Amino acid sequence: MAQIFDRSSNALARASLVLTGLIVIALGVTLDQLQRSPWVTRQGQRPDQPVPFSHKHHVQGLGLQCQYCHVTVEKSSYAGIPPTKTCINCHSQIWTNAQLLEPVRSSWATGQSLVWTKVHDLPDFSYFSHEIHVNKGIGCASCHGRVDQMPLMYAQNTLQMEWCLDCHRNPAKNIRPTSEIYNMAWEKPAEDRPVWCSAGDEKSGLPTAQSVNCVTQDPGGAGAAEVASLQMPLGGPHGMTADVAAETLPVVPAYKKFTSQDELGHFLVDHYKIRTPKDLTSCETCHR
Amino acid sequence: MSKEMSGKMNGSANETGIALNHDTKNVEQGLTLAQVRADLKSVKGKKYWRSVDELADTAEFQAAVEKEFPSAAQEWVDPVSRRGFMKLMGASMALAGLAGCTKQPDEPIYAYVKSPEDLILGKPMYFATAHPFVTGAVPLLVKSDEFRPIKIDGNPEHAYNQGSSDPFTQGTLLDLYDPDRSQHVTYRGENREWTEFAQELRLKVAGTKDGSGIYFLSATISSPTLARQWKAVQAAYPKAKLVQYDPAVAGTAAQSGQNAQYSLADADVIVSLDADFLSGASFPGFHKLVREYAARRKSPETLNRLYSIEGTPTTTGLKAEHRLGLRASEIPTFAAALAQAVGVAGVNAPAYAWTDEQKKFLSSLVKDLKANAGKSVVIPGLYQDASVTALALAINNALGNVGKTVQVSGETVNPLPSDQIADIKGLVADLNAGKVDWLVILNVNPIYNAPADLYFATAFDKAKIVAHLGSHLDETGQIAHWHIPSAHFLESWSDARAYDGTVSIVQPMIDPLYGGKTAHDVLQTLLDEPGLSAYEAVRATWKPVVKGDFETGWRKTLHQGWIDDTAFDNKGSVGLIALKSQVPAPSPKDSLEIIFRPDPTIYDGRWSNVGWLQELPKPVTSLSWDNAAIVSGATLTKLGLEEDDIVELTVGNGKVKAPVIVAPGHPDNSVTVYLGYGREFAGRVGSGAGFNAYLIRNTWAPLYANGSIRKIDGKWGIAITKSHFQDHRSKLFGGQGNGNNSLEADEAIGERGIIRYATLDEYKADPGFANEGENHTTTDMGTSMFPNWTYNEANAWGMSIDMNSCTGCNACIVSCYAENNIAVVGKQQVRIGRNMQWLRIDTYFEGDLSAPRAHFQPMACQHCENAPCEQVCPVGATVHTPEGLNTMVYNRCVGTRYCSNNCPYKVRRFNFLLFSDYETESLKLMRNPDVTVRSRGVMEKCSYCVQRISAAKIEADKENRNVRDGEIITACQQACPASAITFGNINDKQSRVAKLHSNERSYQVLADQNTRPRTKYVAAVLNPNSELQDTPVEHLPAKG
Repeated sequence: MAQIFDRSSNALARASLVLTGLIVIALGVTLDQLQRSPWVTRQGQRPDQPVPFSHKHHVQGLGLQCQYCHVTVEKSSYAGIPPTKTCINCHSQIWTNAQLLEPVRSSWATGQSLVWTKVHDLPDFSYFSHEIHVNKGIGCASCHGRVDQMPLMYAQNTLQMEWCLDCHRNPAKNIRPTSEIYNMAWEKPAEDRPVWCSAGDEKSGLPTAQSVNCVTQDPGGAGAAEVASLQMPLGGPHGMTADVAAETLPVVPAYKKFTSQDELGHFLVDHYKIRTPKDLTSCETCHR
Repeated sequence: MSKEMSGKMNGSANETGIALNHDTKNVEQGLTLAQVRADLKSVKGKKYWRSVDELADTAEFQAAVEKEFPSAAQEWVDPVSRRGFMKLMGASMALAGLAGCTKQPDEPIYAYVKSPEDLILGKPMYFATAHPFVTGAVPLLVKSDEFRPIKIDGNPEHAYNQGSSDPFTQGTLLDLYDPDRSQHVTYRGENREWTEFAQELRLKVAGTKDGSGIYFLSATISSPTLARQWKAVQAAYPKAKLVQYDPAVAGTAAQSGQNAQYSLADADVIVSLDADFLSGASFPGFHKLVREYAARRKSPETLNRLYSIEGTPTTTGLKAEHRLGLRASEIPTFAAALAQAVGVAGVNAPAYAWTDEQKKFLSSLVKDLKANAGKSVVIPGLYQDASVTALALAINNALGNVGKTVQVSGETVNPLPSDQIADIKGLVADLNAGKVDWLVILNVNPIYNAPADLYFATAFDKAKIVAHLGSHLDETGQIAHWHIPSAHFLESWSDARAYDGTVSIVQPMIDPLYGGKTAHDVLQTLLDEPGLSAYEAVRATWKPVVKGDFETGWRKTLHQGWIDDTAFDNKGSVGLIALKSQVPAPSPKDSLEIIFRPDPTIYDGRWSNVGWLQELPKPVTSLSWDNAAIVSGATLTKLGLEEDDIVELTVGNGKVKAPVIVAPGHPDNSVTVYLGYGREFAGRVGSGAGFNAYLIRNTWAPLYANGSIRKIDGKWGIAITKSHFQDHRSKLFGGQGNGNNSLEADEAIGERGIIRYATLDEYKADPGFANEGENHTTTDMGTSMFPNWTYNEANAWGMSIDMNSCTGCNACIVSCYAENNIAVVGKQQVRIGRNMQWLRIDTYFEGDLSAPRAHFQPMACQHCENAPCEQVCPVGATVHTPEGLNTMVYNRCVGTRYCSNNCPYKVRRFNFLLFSDYETESLKLMRNPDVTVRSRGVMEKCSYCVQRISAAKIEADKENRNVRDGEIITACQQACPASAITFGNINDKQSRVAKLHSNERSYQVLADQNTRPRTKYVAAVLNPNSELQDTPVEHLPAKG
């Protein structure tokens, strides 16, 4: 009886073994990539919204500050979606007949909510808090990207756990002075873009946002450096007299110059009292 | 404990002995009672036991211990649930398949049109209100998330309860969101509008000119405004009649005009005459009494001494240093004998054949009371004859306690005290005489709970029109002509007075979910301004009382929750109540006595449909989802019954069928039945649970009655939680141990130091008793094969539980339900050991079965530093945090249950089925948004309220400081009226928890396992009367 399989089928058999292995690996790689792909994460996707609201126009064009609409970003886990009233504040005066704004006007007239589609949507078992990130030196743009350049809103980042952990393992690489939180164009310090920071009295009990002053212009020369801060600038307006200011303000220590994100990051991590990576990557930080 | 001392204590424990009454099963096994007793006597050390089965070591109990989650095969007991389960499983399998390769669905954001003032989305707000309850309002601070009330707790600034609450008050939250609440005004089953009803009622009443034929049957009126409105109605229509009826207080002292208040802060000796003042809000002043009682027990230097003379065993009696179990009808006579002995003039105690033990108890008690005159207090029971109340006041007066530990006020918590039994009798007489044209029922359910001998249902038909205001379409609502949905107290404006008289304003937390109305609205329709809202009515009542500018004062009142300077003026007259009638003679000792009590968890039946309260194990018996005929072991033996047998109870013409169970310490020839069960139209949760004890409760004996009992064939199928969460491992693991290694069984068979306590004398001789001596192992940090964790320097969370303070009232468990979105599983699942409570209260009885003492030990996850669960989890779903929490990551859990298997404390709970309700809309509003709702197949357990820890840490981090001591309060701690639970940072040596941890009496449970738990217990120190302590009486097992 003739052989069913020709000698050449040995090669086929060997090839098919290899091929099977390759297919399994390919399948694994595909699924892995699929899980991280924008199809799943929705990174970069622009869902249909009732009004094609342009952050670019409002932020870059008109110069609205983030908190004008997202009022609770420093105070609560939610940044806050503006009520229709916020839109109507201006749009009862300008573009009052624009077709695009019809849903806003009708919401205002009927009292029915505008129904937006969530762009940055975390799974329900993760508990994210805007307030602690904003108060500890993570800028809006670090997670949301250059919102001021987005005509339609989309997610810049995956918001997947590995992305969160990437920063929680080493917050120094993303942390910035709290005075620059809302600065969309903030760039990491470099030789040609130094940052000067001074740490206040550690025991003063000041909130994070006020314990460190950072400026982007050399404070040594003028002495009247732009003292920026998340909260009310120290000794700023509000009619505080020079005498009172001198009494209540601690002596401003020397500024230190930073020319790299690494140096600045570690300085800020120390002075903002950011918890250790071990704490930040502990499960109960986000899951409960 | 020193060797000598433990020897001495062993001696006394052995003398006391453990009596076994439940021996029928043993006889079948050929194991005689005497043998078991001898076995137990030969065991060294103190002996504790948790159930009669455990003591007797029956085959059933063995079977239960061998399966940690017993009888999985019983899963399909209910065919309906099986089908439901298959359907759900199908759906979730489809979802599981999809979840792997699909993305999250789009989530909409509904933006506000106008943002509410002061709302910071994501931060809860807190509003003061009060829970109006028949024994006195409970001032509250309600947590509101986006204007949805999601957690109820006591008002921490209120002088009366100082932040504490109770199981009822905690449970009212689920009552608000109960999906079975009635939702429409109906007339003969058709939907109508409230205005139609209001108009019809107004026209009809106006048509009578003087109100004749108009009757109101109301729950006890607790609102001063409602009382004012009623007086206005009465003035306009003098012949209209008001009858108040609350089944749980009808016939008790709480309905009458007298009001004595007790202050335990200065009381060295406390005597309870059938007063269950430590176990729940059914006793007036519960919150204050527990707080003051427990405050004296925190330190051995300030110990008080509690004597309890009671019928039904309660946590009060089991906590007492000395408990005398008497038949309920013997207590008035005992009170008279006590009064006579302390020198109350004009009391002649009826002659009675007291036993030597009872005589001895009385004489020692009298001696102790006389020695502590002016520093003692005698508290009469609510469910006792009126003579006991009068005698107790007379005793207090004779001892000079009045004005010191007892204050008497002429004012009452409820503004219109009345004789409720007489009034409802009169109402039924008028109904039968055809005098009733309109019967307006306000939040009462008389068809279900009126006294049986009134035949209310028959009389009911004789009323021409019946209108029913009620939260549910209940037994009465079903047959009333009009039904008006009643607004919950969290939905309405009203007012009420707390035990101390302080007026609290009840303010709504949410708009009525189903357009409910209140009694205020109903009465107001008859007055000059029929549309006046309850809000305006309440304001009008207090306008003359609020001091200063009214609007400012009103805002302050709403903010703080009470009106200043409205507490009772106790300096007034101290008039003694004359003994209205003779002290009733006790019923013959061989007659069967039936004691009626409102249920400790669902009260008079009003919370039948609150799953949290139904599933809550009742104190002492650990029974859930049912009521039962509770008897003593001796009576059980005498009647030839076993637990769970069905008996028929007969009183007068009424008969009910009930399961029988044993409560240690119950008097013989006596049966306790809890009211509130056997509801027909309670809703999806409560309908059909238990039996209706109102059917044997009559106007002539509303508190306790003589009746008869007889056995009926069959078993009831009760769900008792006490033998759940057993640890079977040591029997299977290497063949060591005896298989009885639940925490409780361990204590019963061989001491492991789970309960450690000493008497005051022993403590003085050896203050370190809790951590010394055999079986009192302490943690050794060098003996683990696992490396020790390196922890944070800043925070190390720990908990301390004071065993001397805990009275086993269960408030913590219900608080935990609400805070942590815990699911209710239902009776069948409880029967097979699957209830989901993260916290349980283990009750360890000690000593004689007919006169035991009990130790209450709240047991939740111990957050072990060397946690056995973490070492066996194959997927890292239970992990250790740098601050020492043992945390669950639900979305990693694959449900192997190895962790639970390896947990020596048995505190892990597994979602065998989809227990969480994802469907019902109203329940979604109730959930705590900071805690994940767990799905099927996931393990869960106490998290030390990690959501509260995180919130406090974020607040502290923002302000660059450490978390302050007391900033984090766990849900159980917050609810506890005894302040038995303390939580905090044990690294901060100044924190309260660190101080308690370093207390010499602090010990760790199962320290010999080297689990290094972060929860420590403070060992109890008891203060017994040396006269009574030296002469333990051995009760024969079958003396009945």
